[in-house]
Amino acid sequence: MPPAPPGPFRPRFWKSPLRGPWMTAVLGTLLLMLVSIVALTGFLSHAAYQPDLGRNALVNPDLPFTTFFDWPTGPSWLYALTQGLHVNLGLAAIPVLLAKLWSVIPRLFQWPPARTPAEAIERTSIALLVSSTGFLFATGVANIQYWYVFDFNFVKAHYYAAVVFVAALAVHLVVKVPVALRAYRSRGVLAPLRAGLADTRPEPDGDTVAVEPGPPTVSRRGLLAAVGAGSAALLVANAGESIGGPLRSVAFLAPRRSGGFPVNKTAAAAKVTEEMVGSGYRLMLRGGASELALTIDDLRALPQATHTLTLGCVEGWSTRQTWAGVPLSELARRAGVSDPAELLVVSLQPAGVLSQATLAAGQVADSRSLLALRVGGEDLALDHGYPARIIVPGLPGVHNTKWVGSLEFRA
Amino acid sequence: MRERYGSSPLHLLAHLAALALAAWALLQALQLGGWQRIVLWLAGAVVLHDLVLWPAYTLLDRLARRGRPVGWANYVRVPVGISALLLLAFFPVICGKGERTYMRVSGQTWDGYAGRWLFVSAALFLVAGAIYLARSRPGSSS
Repeated sequence: MPPAPPGPFRPRFWKSPLRGPWMTAVLGTLLLMLVSIVALTGFLSHAAYQPDLGRNALVNPDLPFTTFFDWPTGPSWLYALTQGLHVNLGLAAIPVLLAKLWSVIPRLFQWPPARTPAEAIERTSIALLVSSTGFLFATGVANIQYWYVFDFNFVKAHYYAAVVFVAALAVHLVVKVPVALRAYRSRGVLAPLRAGLADTRPEPDGDTVAVEPGPPTVSRRGLLAAVGAGSAALLVANAGESIGGPLRSVAFLAPRRSGGFPVNKTAAAAKVTEEMVGSGYRLMLRGGASELALTIDDLRALPQATHTLTLGCVEGWSTRQTWAGVPLSELARRAGVSDPAELLVVSLQPAGVLSQATLAAGQVADSRSLLALRVGGEDLALDHGYPARIIVPGLPGVHNTKWVGSLEFRA
Repeated sequence: MRERYGSSPLHLLAHLAALALAAWALLQALQLGGWQRIVLWLAGAVVLHDLVLWPAYTLLDRLARRGRPVGWANYVRVPVGISALLLLAFFPVICGKGERTYMRVSGQTWDGYAGRWLFVSAALFLVAGAIYLARSRPGSSS
């Protein structure tokens, strides 16, 4: 093996007295708590789309992992909560991730690159962990801000990268949890936080501890406070779009901070015209052998119900509105299927994977699930799905199909 | 064997299991349209952090601190760090990258992000300056 190249490959390059196993253990523990929630809510979002039904699957429908449960309809803000956590805790994790990488970056330049086969295979898994993490954060951050700079399908790529991430993280934990526990046992979990700047010393041993440390410029608790301030700033900048109300305008960098009732996709963008929803509009109601063609006045003449429900978007924003319309269970009865196994909803929107969605039995049966005709006491605006849209509690935003053209109840 | 491999058989088996699952996911991703871009983004994420972002902030920090007393480094790097972090995470809205798509799908206009980022940054610098001033007054405890 040739001698180490100059610069970061030489141990004397590293000066920070803060790097060490305890510092990495603390940052790693914080990061693990955040990314565990982000990963769990990400996979829950996959389940919430109910990929087993109809053409709902946005990723490969033949995946070996099927969902084991029906996504519940209560509370109505369930998806707004899980996806709000996914997006906002993902943002809050960015400074923790950067600090964690900073704490271990001398390992990137270790010389020789691998001393044993065990180290070589471990470093391969680390490369997968860091690249999948960077990929997930970069694509997620770009996607919530409508910057579709990647020329690949976001949903599929984000999903498969998450599988790589979970596999690489699991094995990283197998190897590193004992190292972190050793650091906590020998130095105490919180004891090093008591030291101010004047008492900040390098850790006694560990392969990221500087051999020639410089004087400290910040205490360990100071570093953690700065990381926490960074996370707090990102949360203040964005979380209001998820919580709604007056906080929406506080969220100074949130992509969905404009007041009022946000539109996910305008009629113009979906290529739905005034003509398509004019006097010629008919809702095709199918079930078994029968088929009914209902005008907007027919729909208004049916029994109506009013419910206040939260609509949560996969991008992390949400809105709570009071909807009025015909309960889906009522429409099922009219279609001649009293206890449907599923409901296929097709939009007038001419194209797009989300121009149709299949709902599960429990979602149709919930008394709050509506074919909404009105919102906030007025007829739906065209951009909100006039003349009729689906609203089901807890359902991901885009599955609440707008401009409904047909409903097909299946026994 | 253990000495030659460098760890226990469990270490090897755990890694083989993880690598097999990761390989399956990567093979699925390679069947997607634009897979070359996916590979580029996977590699680019590491390169951008390890060889651009980390060297840049380390170098800036070392240059900015050179020859100056330790005492005032954090009054500058905390507000600058938070401002840079906001720019990193919200670069697309601040630079209007998604503006056209957003206006098309939402029907809303898109403005003011760069201005609000600059105002918040200015506020961070002023607050840090005020704290520095308060603490460096004669008779102050620190």
